[in-house]
Amino acid sequence: MRPLPANFIIGAVLVGLVVGVAALSLIWTPHDPTTLNIRGKFGDPSALNWLGTDQLGRDIVSQLMAAARNSMTVALVAVLLGGSIGVALGLLASAVGGWVEDIVMRLADLGFAFPALLFAIMLAAVFGPSLTNAVLAIAFINIPIFARVARASANQIWTREYVLAARAAGMNKLAITGDHILPNIAAAVIVQATIEFAVAILAEAALSYLGLGAQPPASSWGRMLSEAQTLMYLAPDLAIYPGLCIVIAVLGFGLLGDGLRDITDPRLARTR
Amino acid sequence: MFEIQNMTVRFTIGEALRDASLRISPGDRMGIVGESGSGKSMLAACLMGMVPDAATLSGRLTIDGVDMTQVPEIIWQTIRARRVAMIFQEPMSALNPLRRVGDTVAEPMRVHLGLSKTQARDRVVGLFEEVGIPDPTARLRMFPHELSGGQRQRVLIALALACDPELLIADEPTTALDANVALKITDLLVNLSTSRNMALVFISHDLAAVARATTNIAVMYGGDIVERGLTAEVLANPVHPYTQGLLAARPDPRAVPRDANGNRRRLPTIPGTVPPLDKMAQGCRFSGRCSVERSECASVKPMPAGPRHAACHAILRGAP
Repeated sequence: MRPLPANFIIGAVLVGLVVGVAALSLIWTPHDPTTLNIRGKFGDPSALNWLGTDQLGRDIVSQLMAAARNSMTVALVAVLLGGSIGVALGLLASAVGGWVEDIVMRLADLGFAFPALLFAIMLAAVFGPSLTNAVLAIAFINIPIFARVARASANQIWTREYVLAARAAGMNKLAITGDHILPNIAAAVIVQATIEFAVAILAEAALSYLGLGAQPPASSWGRMLSEAQTLMYLAPDLAIYPGLCIVIAVLGFGLLGDGLRDITDPRLARTR
Repeated sequence: MFEIQNMTVRFTIGEALRDASLRISPGDRMGIVGESGSGKSMLAACLMGMVPDAATLSGRLTIDGVDMTQVPEIIWQTIRARRVAMIFQEPMSALNPLRRVGDTVAEPMRVHLGLSKTQARDRVVGLFEEVGIPDPTARLRMFPHELSGGQRQRVLIALALACDPELLIADEPTTALDANVALKITDLLVNLSTSRNMALVFISHDLAAVARATTNIAVMYGGDIVERGLTAEVLANPVHPYTQGLLAARPDPRAVPRDANGNRRRLPTIPGTVPPLDKMAQGCRFSGRCSVERSECASVKPMPAGPRHAACHAILRGAP
């Protein structure tokens, strides 16, 4: 067996770290991330508060951990939701073909043309800013991406001889899609999902930064960043920690997705 | 009984099948031979109702007298597997690499015959035994890459037999196999055809395999059926110039490799290659490569005539 590509290993380690911390925050954080302690604000790192405290005296480590959990949840729900709808549409387009395929793919083009942030701001304007609306907005931008990937991969599988053999055995298109097409495009879809996971984390951070995502007191890297911005000269470390977390999470999922792609399709592996 | 009458399959660039007529009765073993691009597979696609959407069809296909030409896809899905089934040339690519072979074979029984998982499984074991797969209970759970080429082809035969079809179409079933395995698969198909009273359409360019497997034969060239008859008679005494050329081009392992003067003997060949569909002659499609060509051959389509239904102007007008 070939050795695993370096990007896969580094990505897996970073993702493991972020997901592990997020999972840990479900059962344990050093302090309650929302408890205020005005007297202890801007505290330096200590044995009690490993990275110190923020402008309201909240423990930074605990906030970062809770934010990781929120970020993972948003990305997971958004990618699963958008991915399922997108893959279903892509499979439909590929199986039926003709004008159905044309309509689905032109709608996907339309979705692509629509800036995600603009859509989120529109949602927030109509329904009010909330984490749910942020999830919906991120899910929405994922639909056309997955529809394209699913259709392109499925179109290839439809030309395979085992699909012909299934048709010769009297299978209808729905059965062939479930038995033959979906399992054979799964690798491509999973790779795409990993990469979109990174994009979703970044999008959640951006929306929360703009105040359209997580609302106080819920923790979010993006919101921590926006709060720290005004205190940049007073306490620059408050901005550095959440920024670093975003970089680690996005980099981790990005590298993991690239690595998975290199493993599942060695022909696409970049020559180094 | 399957009957094709004056079937023409036309694409925008030309006709892939031209005015073909063929009758297959229960238990018949019909061989179809010809070069690549001669329309053999298109004939099979007609019998399966699987002609590509881009083609326009004319002529009739009847099953037990019922016209199937205008039947929608959804009806064809109930005909395939149960009345007519098919096996393919390349057994590796005809099996889904991600499915256990037992599941692949069980699928049509569950869909068409409404069998439960365990019922279908038991029947798959029986089918695997019938097609000569050793240790069927263990093989069920294997993936295609774990089987040998011959076993994969046997799995595909089991898949085709799953719903007891009346007609089995084998589209070059032995081309991808080595000679010894090919022989066994050919004999298996013959035995299955006899024991099940199942008609067999055996498509091949391997004349030896066709001679071994079939009772009747149809020779195709460029979308035309140029000659048909009993396999033994056609192969022993071909009348159409194309069939004659095809038979002459067979290598004979017993032939002396050098003649009296010590020169290497050359295998006789038919000059030229099959032209692409859009370059085919309007008349006899073999014109341009034929040794007995007459002036009218390129422009006038010869009608099948005589006991062999041979379509050739030279035969029609007597010896050239």
